[in-house]
Amino acid sequence: MNRSDKLWRSLEQAADNPAFLEHAMQEFPGLAAALAEPLGRRQVLRLMAASIVLSGLAGCDSKYGGNLIPAVSIPPNIIPGLPNYYATAHVLDGYASGVVVKHIMGRPVKVDGNPEHPASLGAIDVYAQAQLLDFYDPDRAAEISRRGNPADRANLDAALSEQRAGLALRQGATLRILTGSVTSPTLIAQIEAVRRQYPEAQWIQWEPISRDAARQASQIAYGRPLEVLAHLDKAVVLLAIDGDLLSSAPGRLRYARDFASRRNPSRTASMSRVYAIEPTPTLIGSVADHRFIAGPAELRRIVMALAAGVLHNTPPDSGPTWVGPLLSDLKAARGRVLVHVGAAQPAELHALGHAMNEALGARGATYDLIEPGSPQAALQADAMKALIADMHAGQVSHLLILDSNPLYTSPSSWGFAEALKRVPFSVALARHADETARSSTWFVPQTHEWETWSDARAYDGTVTILQPQALPLYGGLSAHAMLGLYLTAPPLSTEESVRKIWAAHLGGDPANGWSDALAHGFVPGTATAPSDARLRTEVTASSTTSTAAPGDGLTLLLRVDSNLWDGRFANNPWLQELPRPLTKVVWDNPLLIAPALATRMQLTNGDCVRLAIDPVSVVAPVWIMPGQAPDCITALLGSGRRAAGSVGDGVGIDFYPFAGMTGPVVLHKEKGRVELASTVHHNLLMETPPEILRHGTLAQFLADPHFAANEHSEPHLYGTVPPGPAAWAMSIDLNACIGCNACIVACQAENNISVVGKAQVLREREMHWLRIDRYFEGEPDAPESFFQPVLCMHCEEAPCENVCPVGATVHDSEGLNVMVYNRCVGTRFCSNNCPYKVRRFNFYGYAKEQHRPAQSWNPDVTVRARGVMEKCSYCIQRVAEARIVADRESRPVGEVRTACQNACPTQAFTFGNLADPQSEVAQRKNSPLDFAMLEKQNTKPRTTYEALVRNPNPAIKGQPT
Amino acid sequence: MAAIFRPAANLASKVALLVVAAGVLIAAAFWWLWPRTDYARHLRSMIEQPVPFSHQHHVAGLGIDCRFCHSAVEVSSNAGLPPTHTCMTCHSQIWTNAALLAPVRHSFANQTPITWQRITDLPDYVYFNHSIHIAKGVGCGSCHGEIETMPLTYKARTLTMGFCLDCHRDPGPNLRPRPALYDTAWQRGPDTPSAAALMTLYHVPDRTLTDCSLCHR
Repeated sequence: MNRSDKLWRSLEQAADNPAFLEHAMQEFPGLAAALAEPLGRRQVLRLMAASIVLSGLAGCDSKYGGNLIPAVSIPPNIIPGLPNYYATAHVLDGYASGVVVKHIMGRPVKVDGNPEHPASLGAIDVYAQAQLLDFYDPDRAAEISRRGNPADRANLDAALSEQRAGLALRQGATLRILTGSVTSPTLIAQIEAVRRQYPEAQWIQWEPISRDAARQASQIAYGRPLEVLAHLDKAVVLLAIDGDLLSSAPGRLRYARDFASRRNPSRTASMSRVYAIEPTPTLIGSVADHRFIAGPAELRRIVMALAAGVLHNTPPDSGPTWVGPLLSDLKAARGRVLVHVGAAQPAELHALGHAMNEALGARGATYDLIEPGSPQAALQADAMKALIADMHAGQVSHLLILDSNPLYTSPSSWGFAEALKRVPFSVALARHADETARSSTWFVPQTHEWETWSDARAYDGTVTILQPQALPLYGGLSAHAMLGLYLTAPPLSTEESVRKIWAAHLGGDPANGWSDALAHGFVPGTATAPSDARLRTEVTASSTTSTAAPGDGLTLLLRVDSNLWDGRFANNPWLQELPRPLTKVVWDNPLLIAPALATRMQLTNGDCVRLAIDPVSVVAPVWIMPGQAPDCITALLGSGRRAAGSVGDGVGIDFYPFAGMTGPVVLHKEKGRVELASTVHHNLLMETPPEILRHGTLAQFLADPHFAANEHSEPHLYGTVPPGPAAWAMSIDLNACIGCNACIVACQAENNISVVGKAQVLREREMHWLRIDRYFEGEPDAPESFFQPVLCMHCEEAPCENVCPVGATVHDSEGLNVMVYNRCVGTRFCSNNCPYKVRRFNFYGYAKEQHRPAQSWNPDVTVRARGVMEKCSYCIQRVAEARIVADRESRPVGEVRTACQNACPTQAFTFGNLADPQSEVAQRKNSPLDFAMLEKQNTKPRTTYEALVRNPNPAIKGQPT
Repeated sequence: MAAIFRPAANLASKVALLVVAAGVLIAAAFWWLWPRTDYARHLRSMIEQPVPFSHQHHVAGLGIDCRFCHSAVEVSSNAGLPPTHTCMTCHSQIWTNAALLAPVRHSFANQTPITWQRITDLPDYVYFNHSIHIAKGVGCGSCHGEIETMPLTYKARTLTMGFCLDCHRDPGPNLRPRPALYDTAWQRGPDTPSAAALMTLYHVPDRTLTDCSLCHR
């Protein structure tokens, strides 16, 4: 790890491809493509004439006044112009994470993490952020339908009452209720009530992103299903085996915070060491100190060898050289070590993980085992297969599907679609008329989770209350209300049901306890106590000797998509256009293949291949992923929706048909290419690595803490110092950044940033103010990777300002580089002159064409028009609010938190007043690791970085393999 | 062959040229000056409202404080328009049968809001905040004019960016002692502290008031 090593973003850049270099040197690379079809002379004249006339007419807009409509009586606590905040939760995969929704005049406009909630601590992930668009989604269904024809509530009630009578005759033996994973105590109680009424009815929980392997392993190791609750802040050595700790595990936000607490050596005395062994790059692998690549077969052998070493002190005989040092490191850190196995790995490896952790004294120290919040006897896959078999056999007369889309997500070889046709009466409750809803007898629109009362357990069992944020925008029923329709006893209102369950836990005065729980968002003291289940001894002995190995051909890895999860977020434009953490691909889900495989098959990015596992085959583009195991192909689930809505339909390719397939994987090159929109090359900085991103090892840091510091600073010609009472600045800790993208979506939501669509992204016109640059270093087969968030640096000597002919970008007295949209005439000189490439231009009136209603925008931020430059403003609306609040009382301005800072799970961003030496940002800037990006430009940026320090094991030499 | 043009054509063409030139000039002047007229700015033009609410009667006549109706003015960007409920605090007791107030009673009875016509409006890219202006000693009248004399409310100041900047460059003359903030009859008198003294009192010079970012986000 040398500062002069080459940093590269893509294989073209790594290879110094001349065509690529030429492309990279253009300021507006998309422009050439846009001009490829020149307009005729007459057309140009016509357009010019039309624009002159229209610009004249635009000036004639004499609209005056408009309406002012005050309320008849103002609801309590609502003051026009001031926000209100209400706690609720985002539930994914059954697990809740606390959020706080910001309302303006009763309209939700922004979501943040709940600082008090144990699963959030103020952090929020991309899915929960994007709930805002899901809530306002114009494609949400509003009408009950019966076999595709409009129906109403009365029809539904009549049909259900007839059904209830029929079901009661047979004790509900032919009734099945299908849901996702459910931890909601209220919902569980309601389903139990339905089952008391129909004792023979069955409840099936099914999630396409399966956690069955972990459940099965716990069954093997402890005799019952238990969940791992990790304490990453206590782990000094962490081994992530195909880990999903930072990306899709329940509790990932909390894990990310705990993980980051041991990553910056200038703030922690004992920096952790992270090993990752994985077949395809993950977030934790990308930030690990050692990342080892291993396909499934080799991974299994290595874990066996590690387990043998840990459990029986058997020294590793064969295999990679790093296994020995890794083993000694694990053993040396006894009691402070954690072995984590990702959800995608087979149960056998999970069981070995349990055995190793117990042997290494990790249980109770770096993790606990807790009883799951969701009552499940069987494995989800088995339960689902049994359900489908029953449906085929005609034993199901009534199927209730609550917020699940099995027609799209279940493996097609299981035949859910055909089985559904044999069910005489099926009801699907969903927010959109999705694939399953369209094939069910009845479709009932579901309320958004912001429109209903509910509850759910967090990753640690804490009961989290969901309270409605608005009345249903499109009508519909909640899952609770839907279940109420199956009960003959008059049901309680959903609020009463939720409240009744928790009344006993609230202590003291129930009314106050309840309002406290609502204000805080959770019921305190409901976290699940650690289980004292004992490891079965036979597990430790027998499983290490098992030697069955899968085949040695290609392996297809079906993975949860970092943007769309299992496909449920496919209609969300923010998530579709979010550059995926490692590939930066948007609006598509190409197959990820290793560089070696690409060379062998002569494939480049976007080339089409036919992927087949008999009898399923599909043609898909490929994306070459450095660091991918050569024998593994990764396919992301969740794309290729057929009935997601106007945004998500037909985007990408559906790989669910391959789920559950076990045959040999065949890959053929096909004719044709797909233009893949990836932002990996966009806003490229052609500079030497230390000017961009500095990194080193812990040894380097200990020898010289200032190893990454800026060397010199040139004198300035003008040297003006902004005179204002505050000096706004930001520090970004590269040790903390895990590339999760939460900041990008937070910025997009807060600052009214438009989505532009795939065609515009291909022309490099995406509008994100904040981007996360992902760099590689080293060999393409096994590179080291780095993340670097880049936003406007707010240079004190800003190059953009000097070239603006109309003074549209200027400095304010507190050092903010501000953009005055109304002055901007769109010369784009500023963007041309910006060394950091952080300015974004509205080539079209993107804001007018967004897939969202006007009331979903943030009213505190101007919506930019066509032809206007925009860029990060350091959340100036928040600074302005803080200024006003402070100035009203003539006191110094207090804390301001930017949207990216608020969202960040690892606290990588710190923003504040540099003029106050006590401020956190001032202290972070005093860190020995502080450096300015492109320091030679002498722009004196107000945003600086803390250099990345990794903690490799000195006993492992050379590039990891 | 006879000449195509007679000598009079010379004069005609000159006049035509002059007319065209004058037309262009007049059009340009109109284009430039028209938006600056009080008429185009709707200055002092009264608009018909659903209820002919008289500030003159309620403020000068009854002495009701501004904040009784515009209750958010000290805490929010938005001064707040009174909900029907506020009107009915008095009008459920007095003038209960007045025909003029029928829309108010209708609104209250049917829970349908009253739709007022907007008088003062700023463009969407301007983020004006009432609370900070009140906190810094700018009285209502500085922007809203002599509201206590208005039988029907009208726009009394241009509220253009030039108007804002005139004060932001030199706020002193528009500052009032705190007790006079809502006093519509207040006038600068011999006992009034000087502009400079008020500036210091309100800590106005602590901030550069001409930063773009102060009003534009």
